[in-house]
Amino acid sequence: MTNSQQETDASPLEGPITGDKLLESFPRYRDPEDVTVLERPGREAETVSNEELLEPELAGPLEHDCYVHQVEALEALERGENVCVATSTSSGKTRIYALQIARNYLEARRRSAENERGDSTAYVLYPTKALSRDQERELNDFYDRLGLDITVRVYDGDTERGTERRQIREEADVIISNFAGVNTYLHDHDRWARFFSACDLVVIDESHTYTGVHGMHVAWILRRLRRVLEYYGSEPQFVMTSATIGNPGEHSEGLIDEPVTVVDEDGSPKGPRDIVLWNPPPRAREDGNAGSEDGGERADAVPDEGEASDAVEGVIERVPATVESPKLLSHLAYQNAQTLLFTPSRKLAELSVKRASQHRQDRRRHYTDPDRGSAIEPYHAGHSRQKRHGTEHQLKNGLLDGVASTNALELGINVGEMDATVQMGYPGQRQSFWQQIGRAGRGTDRALSVLVAEHRTLDQYVVSNPEFLLESDVEDAVADVGNDAVFAQHLLCAADELAIDERDAGSFADRERLERALEMWRRAGKLTGVLETGVSYRGPPRPQSTISLYATRGEEYEVRLAEGVDEKHDPEMEPLARERVYRDFHEGAVRLHEGRQYEVCEVVHDGPRPHVTVRPTDVDYYTVTQSDVTVLDATSEESRGIGDFTLHYGRGRVLVYHGTYDEVGVHGGKRRAQGVPTDNPPLSMDTQLCWLEVPREVERELVEKYRNFSVPDLDSELAETPHLGYAAGLHAAEHATIGVAPLELMLDKRDLGGLATLTIDSHLDRGAGEESAESADGTTQSAAPGDNEPKNLAAARATVRATAAELERTPSSGWFIYDGIEGGLGFSKAIYENYETVARRAREHIADCECGRVDGCPACVMDEQCGNDNQPLHRGAAIDVLDALLEAEDSEGLEVSGSEATAEPDEETSAQSEGRRPPLFYS
Amino acid sequence: MRTRDGPRVLVLSPSVLSSRSLTAFRDARAYFEPDFVLVHGPERAPQADARARHAFDVPVVHPPLMDAAEQVQRHSIRQGEPDRYSLLIARSADGLADAEPTLDRQLENTDSVAAVVCDDVTTTVRPTALETDLSYRSQLAAALPAGETMTIMSGGLAAGYDEVWRLEADTGAVLGVGTEGDDAITTPHPSTETAVGVRIVGIGPREGYGTAGSISAVTLGSADRPESGTADTTESGLADVTDVETLSADAFGLEAVSGIGPKTAIRLEKQGVTTRAELLETPIETLSSISGIGRQTALRMHQQARVLESGEPRRLSDEPLPGGTHPGSPLCLDIETDGLSPTIIWQIGVYDPNIDEYHAFVERSSPEDPGPVLERFCDWLFGVHPDRALLTWNGWRFDYRHLESFLNRYVPRYVDAWDGVAKLDLYGWAVGNENAVLPGRTNTLEDVSAALEYGGSDTGLDGAQTAAAYQRFIRTGTELEWDRHEAYCEDDCRALWHVYEQLRTAPKPAVDQTTAANDGTASTNESTTAGSQTGLGDF
Repeated sequence: MTNSQQETDASPLEGPITGDKLLESFPRYRDPEDVTVLERPGREAETVSNEELLEPELAGPLEHDCYVHQVEALEALERGENVCVATSTSSGKTRIYALQIARNYLEARRRSAENERGDSTAYVLYPTKALSRDQERELNDFYDRLGLDITVRVYDGDTERGTERRQIREEADVIISNFAGVNTYLHDHDRWARFFSACDLVVIDESHTYTGVHGMHVAWILRRLRRVLEYYGSEPQFVMTSATIGNPGEHSEGLIDEPVTVVDEDGSPKGPRDIVLWNPPPRAREDGNAGSEDGGERADAVPDEGEASDAVEGVIERVPATVESPKLLSHLAYQNAQTLLFTPSRKLAELSVKRASQHRQDRRRHYTDPDRGSAIEPYHAGHSRQKRHGTEHQLKNGLLDGVASTNALELGINVGEMDATVQMGYPGQRQSFWQQIGRAGRGTDRALSVLVAEHRTLDQYVVSNPEFLLESDVEDAVADVGNDAVFAQHLLCAADELAIDERDAGSFADRERLERALEMWRRAGKLTGVLETGVSYRGPPRPQSTISLYATRGEEYEVRLAEGVDEKHDPEMEPLARERVYRDFHEGAVRLHEGRQYEVCEVVHDGPRPHVTVRPTDVDYYTVTQSDVTVLDATSEESRGIGDFTLHYGRGRVLVYHGTYDEVGVHGGKRRAQGVPTDNPPLSMDTQLCWLEVPREVERELVEKYRNFSVPDLDSELAETPHLGYAAGLHAAEHATIGVAPLELMLDKRDLGGLATLTIDSHLDRGAGEESAESADGTTQSAAPGDNEPKNLAAARATVRATAAELERTPSSGWFIYDGIEGGLGFSKAIYENYETVARRAREHIADCECGRVDGCPACVMDEQCGNDNQPLHRGAAIDVLDALLEAEDSEGLEVSGSEATAEPDEETSAQSEGRRPPLFYS
Repeated sequence: MRTRDGPRVLVLSPSVLSSRSLTAFRDARAYFEPDFVLVHGPERAPQADARARHAFDVPVVHPPLMDAAEQVQRHSIRQGEPDRYSLLIARSADGLADAEPTLDRQLENTDSVAAVVCDDVTTTVRPTALETDLSYRSQLAAALPAGETMTIMSGGLAAGYDEVWRLEADTGAVLGVGTEGDDAITTPHPSTETAVGVRIVGIGPREGYGTAGSISAVTLGSADRPESGTADTTESGLADVTDVETLSADAFGLEAVSGIGPKTAIRLEKQGVTTRAELLETPIETLSSISGIGRQTALRMHQQARVLESGEPRRLSDEPLPGGTHPGSPLCLDIETDGLSPTIIWQIGVYDPNIDEYHAFVERSSPEDPGPVLERFCDWLFGVHPDRALLTWNGWRFDYRHLESFLNRYVPRYVDAWDGVAKLDLYGWAVGNENAVLPGRTNTLEDVSAALEYGGSDTGLDGAQTAAAYQRFIRTGTELEWDRHEAYCEDDCRALWHVYEQLRTAPKPAVDQTTAANDGTASTNESTTAGSQTGLGDF
């Protein structure tokens, strides 16, 4: 590559576009350091002759032989196993269950000839309605080709009520729906008797999407579905199809609560692929002079610049991916490469099409034939079904040169294969990354995928650690059923569907948990009866309607448009969980949704339909909530040592007070109005958490090492203590651990929170041991609930401080990570189990950051949600703590007993010599 | 309205008081004939209290506004017989301990106290801990007499809640919770002086009644509790709560008329129409000149108001009654199960109006096997009456639904024959298909038949009680009072026929109304037809 790229005509190059060709032809100077080309080799198809696998009736009409993974899956199904197929995009996963349905159908036909039950049905569940319609067509076409009379029908919220629904229930062989539908329809299961009695297969397509809150609801809906199917005498097999995730087996088994055979050896052919990691050029200091960008200025200037300016602006600025990616879309389309651009919002999908065309005009000398490759359209769920159909069709038939789409095209809608993909920013997860780029690749032709990095933590991590993408591990999906609040809601539904009895103990939930939940609901008057003879539901009709698939308390806030505002501004947002409303949707909040700004003008918490009212706005700031957090009464349920460190997992109460907010300028990030009250009450959550206790030895060393650290103007009487540097290290390590968790687990970091503290013990439930002894006789404590619960955050903090002052032993220091949703999501449990990996990532990430600042930058240890305004933070101390943890892991087993023995006698003296430790805690 | 003799306490919530019209309360007054009105707390609502005093001519008490000097007051419920029934009303839970004389002393002196009213008492459900607790239980344990069970009424809990909490007298620790007679609360022996039984009866707003809210009436009477396993034995003497009836608040006043929601009610009021009688006096032309009311709606309003005022049903179409074309009268069917998610249909009652005979198929010996009782029913039905149609009240939601599902499962050989039976539903015909307007504040068979003056035998049972009794039988083998439970089922079958007969002879629409009924152009946006109200009493 040269530095003197000329502005010449970019005639389409010979052959398929490659990474190198892209670099050569793109009209602009590019710093070689900003672009990495990764070459991935192709792979031949591995197939097995259909005659060996399938009966002649099916093998005959099939055009292609089956790939080995399809064969493997079909064989496992033949053996009666449940299967999860986790292979790449367009590797023919649908064909697996389509063929299995056909096999079941033929089998049933044979039975019917022998006068036995002559029916076989399948319930096929997709994550979106759009996908349902798409697949209905695909499956019907497939069976037409096979010449089989199998009826495939969609049955969801859009299906006309009355006759049509009844007809589908009574006649269809395959019913396609989604989990919100299954949840609702289970209430009237008797109407589905025919379909359920004959059900041989349940398909969960794109099963990796069921993670977090949504995943746990789906897991319970599946358990309810299985109970009902069992009632009708059906024990169907399950087929799950998943994108490549880290734990397909564990995740699938968590969803359906049965053993699952994983098929992940991909036998479909793949052409070679170039993956280009594209960091946009630094932004010129003065905007506007687009033609004269001079990258040379960038290279070494950055760290110095960082020293000079304040925290936020010290970080270099680059051209945003939102501006850069449409240019690539435009360019690739010009190069005859049919290209799909993935954008994070509908608005950006629309905007990108305009920007792509603008790019041509700006570079007219370069793109001499203005009409070539200019058929570019947007695509997103906001378009009518008809319009989307049109676009899909035109893509398939090559009538379009490019499409800018939201992730609506990420999931399996059939649009054929592209030559290239461009991603506007890292999609957040490797799983998603691979799924999207899988859209490019025609047969065995070379495919091109460009990731345009945004200037933010994960993106910059990815472009500077390209090997990260290629590691075989992808994120783990978490579908946890440990949340008792969610379990309890589904238990009500299950009882409404069929009386809960002995058979459910140990299968729906373990007996102890089941008994406790039944007793809770009996006492609350919602259930009646006992396990022996059956427990019935007796609350308000249709408990299924209180399940909200995106929240844990059955309490969702609808997002409404203010009165008098034109419908077209309706943000069409999913309902919000209470926790989100408190944090991000207080009155006065300015939120960006799909590229449009909204102001929250009213929040109604009470009443049967809590809601948030928004109106469109156009201001040059956004709002950030300032939060106070503390943890109370944490109880350890599991713990393990990592060297001398101790890691706990358990439950506790987290009090969060999103008390004020700041208005932050969109440009430059300057804070304007600060500390505006939200008028929110504090939020109390019983949730799952994990915490790490740093050994005394490590603590002592680090307190000493960083004892001179101070933060000017830190608003705290404790700012002058020798512990500050160490505490800042814990705080930074806590932020970083949470920040990198999405690299390992499929989660939204906003669902996690943390608290670094010097006095872990004062956050624990100190009475836990005694209480359990007392309640052994089966009685409950006599105090009324909530009697000694602190009513507000200040009181809670005072409690923690008072507890700290009363502690007899010197407490441990460390940090908590909690699930920011009532009842928990299983995330802290997953982090507990993968702590070393997460810690290693966090350590790398802090150490590698270019910011060079002691207190870090937003790309490493600063967190926008920090309740303490990102103070105090200490990168060095954080690295030291994490190093100690990771070394401890390596040397595990060595001298453990020895160090414990020596630690104890030292304790008294150390506590005395350091003085009483301050009960510092930072979220 | 349920046929109950005891004195009645009408319970109103502040929100219902502030949102409904005075005529609605007058209507409620006429319907319930309360002896006493309670405006429940725990929130202080002086305006609601004042409104209630204005609307009712019986004593009205709003506990939060009681005299602070007197933490607990005793109120006689029926004037004239002061010592028969009374309530002890507590201003707040904290006041329970400060009562002068003490609560157990007051209770010792009389058998007339049916319940203690304390709106602070409530349950707290903590799903994340899988726990439900009772607030102020240590105060209750301390204030109430040991070795006995006392009823507490609380506006802090939804009407429909009725559970007995057995507490340790000294600490208030929970020993067990259940309905009276349950093992769960009787195993630690109830008569010991160390335990306190607290029956908690909710009288607060009930879920499922939409924005209108609910109104409850509490009937007092002599205790009639099945004790420790020996179900259905009557032990009389002590005053207690015997029934809580809950209706939607919009079942009263103008809004009881289908097509009249809050907005229309206000428009009508502006025209001086505040009662159903005034509505009937207002000509259709005048009504349909009001914005939002079409001619057809006005006609409907008149029809419905007339039915409610007169108690006479009215047919809206020439559509024959279900089974009207079928040979012979339909067989009236009703089933009893062991719960809303049944594990057995243990009683199938069929009334044959042709010969005025009732048949009951009851499983009295082997409740673990749902098959035999179904088989006996089918043998009889298909053997004796292969051609007769069946008739139910809302059977597609319950009777037919469960029978079909159980037949599929336990007696599959009769499934084809069952498919061939004509299955009719009177509720669906009248309400669902809008072929008739029925009197009664809800569309339950009980309400409709009572409004049509069906005089059944008062068994004092309802579906939930009979289900619970059978559950107890399954679990403990304790026999039910079979006769009483069979009488209950028979009553429903006969009530169904009574309603059928009444509808058969009900007036059919005049010619002009038929034309109007086909003119589907005008209607209001507020569709509060009785059938679409979401109250629990309705289906």
